[in-house]
Amino acid sequence: MASYVFRRIIQSIPLLFGIAIVCFFLVSLAPGSPIDRFRTARTSPETIRNLIHLYGLDQPLLPIEFGSWLAFGLTLVGAVVVAGVGIVIVGRSVSGRRRRAVGLGLIALVVLGAVGVVALNWAAWGGEVTWPGRFIAWITNFLQPWQVDGNGNLFAWGYSFADGQPVIEKIVERVPNTLILMGTSLALTVVIAIPIGILGAVRQYSLLDKLITVLATIGYAMPTFWLGLVLKFVFAIKLDLFPLFGMHAYGDTSITDLLYHMALPVLTLTIVSVAGWSRYMRSSMLEVLHQDYVRTAKAKGLPRSRVIYKHALRNALIPIVTLLGLTIPSLLIGAAVTEFVFAWPGLGGMGVTAVIERDYPLVLAFVMTGGAMVILGNLIADVLYAFVDPRIKY
Amino acid sequence: MENTQLGQIPTTAAGRGQAAIDEVDLTPVRTYWQLARQRFMQHRLAVVGLVIMATLVTAAIVIPVLTGNLFGKTSLSLANHPPSLLNPFAPLGYDSIGINIFLRLAKALQTSLFVGFSAVSIIVVVGITVGALAGYFGGAIDNLLMRFVDLVLSLPSFFIIVMMVALFGTGNAIVVIVAIGVVGWTTAARLVRGEFLSLREADFVQAARALGAGDGRIVVRHMLPAALAPVIVAATLGIADSVVVEATLSFLGFGIQPPEASLGNMLTNAQEFFYRNPMLIMYPGITLVLVVLAASFLGDGLRDALDPRQRVKG
Repeated sequence: MASYVFRRIIQSIPLLFGIAIVCFFLVSLAPGSPIDRFRTARTSPETIRNLIHLYGLDQPLLPIEFGSWLAFGLTLVGAVVVAGVGIVIVGRSVSGRRRRAVGLGLIALVVLGAVGVVALNWAAWGGEVTWPGRFIAWITNFLQPWQVDGNGNLFAWGYSFADGQPVIEKIVERVPNTLILMGTSLALTVVIAIPIGILGAVRQYSLLDKLITVLATIGYAMPTFWLGLVLKFVFAIKLDLFPLFGMHAYGDTSITDLLYHMALPVLTLTIVSVAGWSRYMRSSMLEVLHQDYVRTAKAKGLPRSRVIYKHALRNALIPIVTLLGLTIPSLLIGAAVTEFVFAWPGLGGMGVTAVIERDYPLVLAFVMTGGAMVILGNLIADVLYAFVDPRIKY
Repeated sequence: MENTQLGQIPTTAAGRGQAAIDEVDLTPVRTYWQLARQRFMQHRLAVVGLVIMATLVTAAIVIPVLTGNLFGKTSLSLANHPPSLLNPFAPLGYDSIGINIFLRLAKALQTSLFVGFSAVSIIVVVGITVGALAGYFGGAIDNLLMRFVDLVLSLPSFFIIVMMVALFGTGNAIVVIVAIGVVGWTTAARLVRGEFLSLREADFVQAARALGAGDGRIVVRHMLPAALAPVIVAATLGIADSVVVEATLSFLGFGIQPPEASLGNMLTNAQEFFYRNPMLIMYPGITLVLVVLAASFLGDGLRDALDPRQRVKG
């Protein structure tokens, strides 16, 4: 098991590196610039230049400066296409065991080709080496989040373009708010959805089961943000029971006030996930109830409740445990839309705002955290699966 | 029922002569697609889904074509006109600046369905191409492509879509479509790859190869039709997801922008009239729910219909 987890962690390193490359260049090569919002008729070109310098946007992306990004990109794409076609042609003609070796060799060839293209471009366009370039500077700092600047701030993930606060601190500040919201909703979902699913499966095709199925189907079909709007209309405007948005009334930090503000967003998230989870639980339970050992348990005269809760339920919960692992990333970033609708000061809402403001360091930190969470969630799901199901061995 | 039991030979001597003629199977041979259609029609919810979807698609095509640009026309004299079934031109009334809500809803549905169907076509085309390449050739190509699939699957998908749309063209339907497609093709690719891995060793594929068929012919004519069923199901369910993602993007202000209509931006607008006309949040929302329900019923029905192990009743 330990070696399996170790192998998975090693495997996730290139994956995270890939995410870093994709996201960094997606953000950096996008049209427009973060300083666009400062451009007015009255901003002098010098101010703009100073801002560009302040944000480090005048640095080249890679250590090598190319005369033309377009030419570079086209050559790179061309090289990859040629290499791909090569792989297909050679891969077909070689058979059996040797195919793997040839494949690895060709991948190495593609990498070499890419490096060659870089070198050729460099020579052709007469670029100059400027170390380290934005990408390498960003990723080396990103990997050492414990670094501290002169004022004791954790600066490694950069300073937010919007307010100059260190990105790490901005993120850490918001984590508890999101965890409170998502944790409560997840706990409620588990407590509500599992009994509903069991009930539906045990009384399959009964009136109750049909009612549950219909409600779950409709609940699952409702877009989260619209459900939020409807609940806001019914409970905050018509009935005036709960506040429209926010996390605290001004100056009030009591638990009761927090619960009062949490009610609607938690309700929204819970309805949507209960709909999904109960359907999942129901089908998982149904599958187990049709197994031979359940029939045996019934046949040897065990009481019904013992068959259901002792024999069937424990096995039906196995896929649910996996689902629990898969929801981990959404614990941190999944509720962006709900947080937006209810103006909840959480991570997801911050991510959306960061994109609107083109706050590149924050956006990148957010995506990297999200990607790491997805990978971690998958790993935890697999480990949990092996843990609860002795038939699974890694 | 009787003539389906072809293999059974009557045992009594008296019955033999007559029965042997009777028991020749006279039912016409039914192809896979005919059987699938029969199974589909027996699936009540699937038919309901099909009817809803057909109605919505027809409305989304016909109404905006007939009424042209009227969906954006304001007429202050009609502002806040209440809904009335007696008025066939504006059954849902007018909003606060005198826009015909029904016409706007139809146009918004058109935009949303267009985005949904286009995004799904990208997903299907990219997914089939990548999955077929990986599954047919295997080895290094498979390894390379599947690592790429893993990479895309590890991205926080909704946030990446938001990022792409926000950075590369807020308000541009094409960007929305491409963003949803670029992030969403992985499931289809995995499905096709799985099917191809098992089909590659199937007898009929070996037979085609033995007869000298080329790779292209084997993939397109022999394997693809056999691998299509799960992709069709995934694509149908994908329509629901894409429509909801588009609506969410537009609601957040990244997707389709007014004056163009989308179910999402209608909901953003409706928030301003929470007090005066709360029904404004119901129309686009219920339309969205209908699209999602219809697509998921259709998808479930197709899953059963396209599965050759399912029996046809009667």
